[in-house]
Amino acid sequence: MRRRRDTGVALLMLGPLLVLLGIFVLWPLLHAVWISFSTWSFYEAPVFVGLENYVNVLTDEEFSASVMRGLAFSAMVVPTQVVIAFVFANLVKSVSGRVATVLKVTIYIPVVVSEVIAAIVFSLIYAYKGGLLNWFLGLLGAGEDTAWLGETATALPAVAVPAIWIGTGLASLIMLAGLLDIPEVYYECASLDGAGAWTKMTRITLPLMKNIILFLLVTGFAASLQFLVVPLVMTQGGPLDSTMLPNLFIFRHFTNDLYVGYSIAAALLLFVVLGAISAIIFRLVRSEKAVDG
Amino acid sequence: MKTWPIVLTLVLVAGCGGTPTQKPAGKAEIQLWQQKFTDQEDAWYKKAVSAFNASQDKVVLKHTIVPADAWEQKMKAAQAAGKAPDIYTLNYNKVPGFARTGQIQPLDKLIAADRWAGLQKEVLGSVEYKGAKYAYPMLVEPSAVLFYRKDLFAKAGLDPNRPPATWDELVQYGKRLTTKDVSGLVTAGVAVDMAWSTWGLQWNAAGHLPISDDWSAPQAADPQYKQLLQAYQTLYKEGIMPKQPLAPYADANPMGQGKAAMMVCGSWAAGVLLSDYPKMVADIAAAPLPSFDGDATKPTATLGGWTLVVDAKSKSPQPAADFVSWLLAGDTTLLVDFFKTTRFSKYSPRDVVAQAVKNDPAAAENVWAKTIEDKIVAYAKPEPTYDFAISLAFGKAIEKALQGKDIDTALSEADAEIKSVIAKNNLAGQGS
Amino acid sequence: MLRYPLAALFVVATLFPLAWTAVAGFKSKTEVVATPFQFFPEVWQWDNYSRMLADEAFLRSLGVTFAGAVLFAALSLVVNSLGAYVFARLEFAFKRTLWVIVLTTMFVPAIAIMLTSFIVVTQLGMLDSLTVLVIPGAASGAQVFFLRQYYLGLPTALEEAAQLDGAGPWKIFTRIFVPLSKGAFVVVGATSFLAFWNSYIWPVLTITDPSLFQVQQYLATFRSDRTSEMALLMAGSTLAALPVIVLFLIFQRQIIAGVRLSGLK
Repeated sequence: MRRRRDTGVALLMLGPLLVLLGIFVLWPLLHAVWISFSTWSFYEAPVFVGLENYVNVLTDEEFSASVMRGLAFSAMVVPTQVVIAFVFANLVKSVSGRVATVLKVTIYIPVVVSEVIAAIVFSLIYAYKGGLLNWFLGLLGAGEDTAWLGETATALPAVAVPAIWIGTGLASLIMLAGLLDIPEVYYECASLDGAGAWTKMTRITLPLMKNIILFLLVTGFAASLQFLVVPLVMTQGGPLDSTMLPNLFIFRHFTNDLYVGYSIAAALLLFVVLGAISAIIFRLVRSEKAVDG
Repeated sequence: MKTWPIVLTLVLVAGCGGTPTQKPAGKAEIQLWQQKFTDQEDAWYKKAVSAFNASQDKVVLKHTIVPADAWEQKMKAAQAAGKAPDIYTLNYNKVPGFARTGQIQPLDKLIAADRWAGLQKEVLGSVEYKGAKYAYPMLVEPSAVLFYRKDLFAKAGLDPNRPPATWDELVQYGKRLTTKDVSGLVTAGVAVDMAWSTWGLQWNAAGHLPISDDWSAPQAADPQYKQLLQAYQTLYKEGIMPKQPLAPYADANPMGQGKAAMMVCGSWAAGVLLSDYPKMVADIAAAPLPSFDGDATKPTATLGGWTLVVDAKSKSPQPAADFVSWLLAGDTTLLVDFFKTTRFSKYSPRDVVAQAVKNDPAAAENVWAKTIEDKIVAYAKPEPTYDFAISLAFGKAIEKALQGKDIDTALSEADAEIKSVIAKNNLAGQGS
Repeated sequence: MLRYPLAALFVVATLFPLAWTAVAGFKSKTEVVATPFQFFPEVWQWDNYSRMLADEAFLRSLGVTFAGAVLFAALSLVVNSLGAYVFARLEFAFKRTLWVIVLTTMFVPAIAIMLTSFIVVTQLGMLDSLTVLVIPGAASGAQVFFLRQYYLGLPTALEEAAQLDGAGPWKIFTRIFVPLSKGAFVVVGATSFLAFWNSYIWPVLTITDPSLFQVQQYLATFRSDRTSEMALLMAGSTLAALPVIVLFLIFQRQIIAGVRLSGLK
């Protein structure tokens, strides 16, 4: 296709997007950066303190610990989500039409439930005495009840479960779409060559789905590192900060501090972490893209 | 070019969604924000606001109920944009900090001196900053009351009329009361809740808070605090406290649902138990938490509660203060109605109101009110007013003890953290 | 065959919390959080549902939120699809820089710009109107990214023919891309609709006029620190989820077809 430069018309068509992002995201972002260099309680004149807020955040072990914990949390949530989505997509493809329809509709349901309600429901499931999970494990013969949200070893994985539950719907549908996009003919040819299910999976499905998987990794990563409501309702970050995810840490400072500089600086640092890691993943997406961008 | 009309239409349609603000000509409008409390309290505020609007024709008071979990965001956003309400509800412990950072204005000049008469001295002290009064106290609630089940006491062979008088007894009783379905003692179990709900016990154990009075030095390493952390550690280790919180500290439902033989909660629990679990009321008694040295005149709770403040940037400070004075410092009928509505689970710091409430024939329905007033409120301390980070540092120390960590280490870490909070926030010398 | 048990497991795991919420709406106020865990109520009570359905403020919040969500989805479709088309097909100055900027907005934590974007909407006089809910969040880096990937996957033959006939970018976009985007639009629209439907903090910040209350904002009036109207909250949440579920059922086929065409690979 002949490519010509349409700067005028392009900018006109981009206008609404750029104007809206400019006014409601970029300008507030620049303003937030400006605020992060000062000490401000809205009522006293802001005092310019340079990098002091950033130094305070970066020397705060709790902040770096929360970011590391957030990354660990992402490592639990995102790959699990992708694996479940992958299993789901393959399952839908292999069952009969009606069952497939039921599956496709129900997988979206978790998205409809608000996070607060999800957190309440899961808290009841994890309840120590009389909770559903302990009751169920009791049936299977587990001796002692477990305080899922009360012990440092289990709290973070326990909070990860609702996170996975909430995010899997969309991931599954996108995964399914990608799977259905692979021409059936590839598999038929492979069958003629005598390829088994495993070979088809590793030689056809996974390579062709790589970009979708990477896309889900990026968006899932961005979402999981900003998780807030569920740990706030379920554990308030405890026990011993074991579920103090970065956004919850920032939120706590935002609500308790008399000045906002610290929490905004911390949020901007989280933005940098998110952007940097995502940039790496994006680079991978780009290099693999089938169609020129 | 077809899309532009669509965008325009959308923008226009969306723009028409707002309703014009009703502002009768000539009347200034002032705003009141109230944090979401119980339905009964919210309804009382509504009633009060319309009564005020009917009582005068100079200003129109607009009333907004803000969800508690969004209060900080909404308030900070409004403050940042210069849109803070003229009047709002504020906790005692936040008043001095807000005064220090210039967010609220002194009320001495706006509310006549005689209107401040008859307020409890300690409570008045907690709304003062540098000699000026920055908030008008509305109510106090002791933060920690020991509610216990008389029927379960009897069943466990304990005397229902003799609540635990020492921490050793509390632990022993708790052990005997714990069953498969019932926790011996339910109390705060996460750092954020323990940070403030143990203020009274922090006073009790050491005779001071974990920071010096002038906020210049940490005092968390005081060995006296070890008994407090030790008590929590034992309660948790022995399974007397639930291994994970049944509900947030302020929520009294676990007792109502029969999951707790003893429960530590604020006096507001009485309101919930009376309204939602009337059948249980006869089986429940109230007592102060034990003192560590057995001296029942030492504080075991702090007096939290709510005040009304006037925003420093309010354009109508006098009318705003007039409302505060009209509501809280004037005629007592409406206020008595408030304490009645909340089932006598809160206390007025104003003598005339407190007397009138006490004399109300309905007051007898709260069977615990007298015990709470005589044995807890009488010895309670006002809430500390330092940054919450200080309290949180101590809450974390208790949580560490709970989780089986070494108590000395936990306390010295809290001490170090408080020291760093003092330095980062220039707190030294700010306390009084 | 493991397939059907696995399918059943999927269905139970995804439906359980919503089903529980719906059933909890039939419980009494204090029964909702009671343990030992109980799925069904002791006595089925219609009270909560009938109270919510008779609650005019709740019904109005459903209506206002629905209207807002439709406008929001429509506006974000227009804005983001135009942007996606331009980044997918046109060549222009600063393309790469602008693209990186648009993508970067995906990662801005909400809390970082909460105060400053509130300042912006206040200065623009947008408070207490549907505009403040509909316009600020309409442009979305993530959606532009999604749609652009889709457009990159579309064959170029059609537009080349149109170009030979002298059609410009506007015509190509409205005559060729929009008709082909039906499925993708349904996906993006559904995502926007849902984001709007479940938003809570932003409406609380910007809307104080009760006649414009959003549904999650209204439901929050049943929660407080000390005791919550749990059963009403559950009934209300179930009723609030219904319109969205119905909408999904209606668009179900397009959603699946839409993602299928997404061209993400």
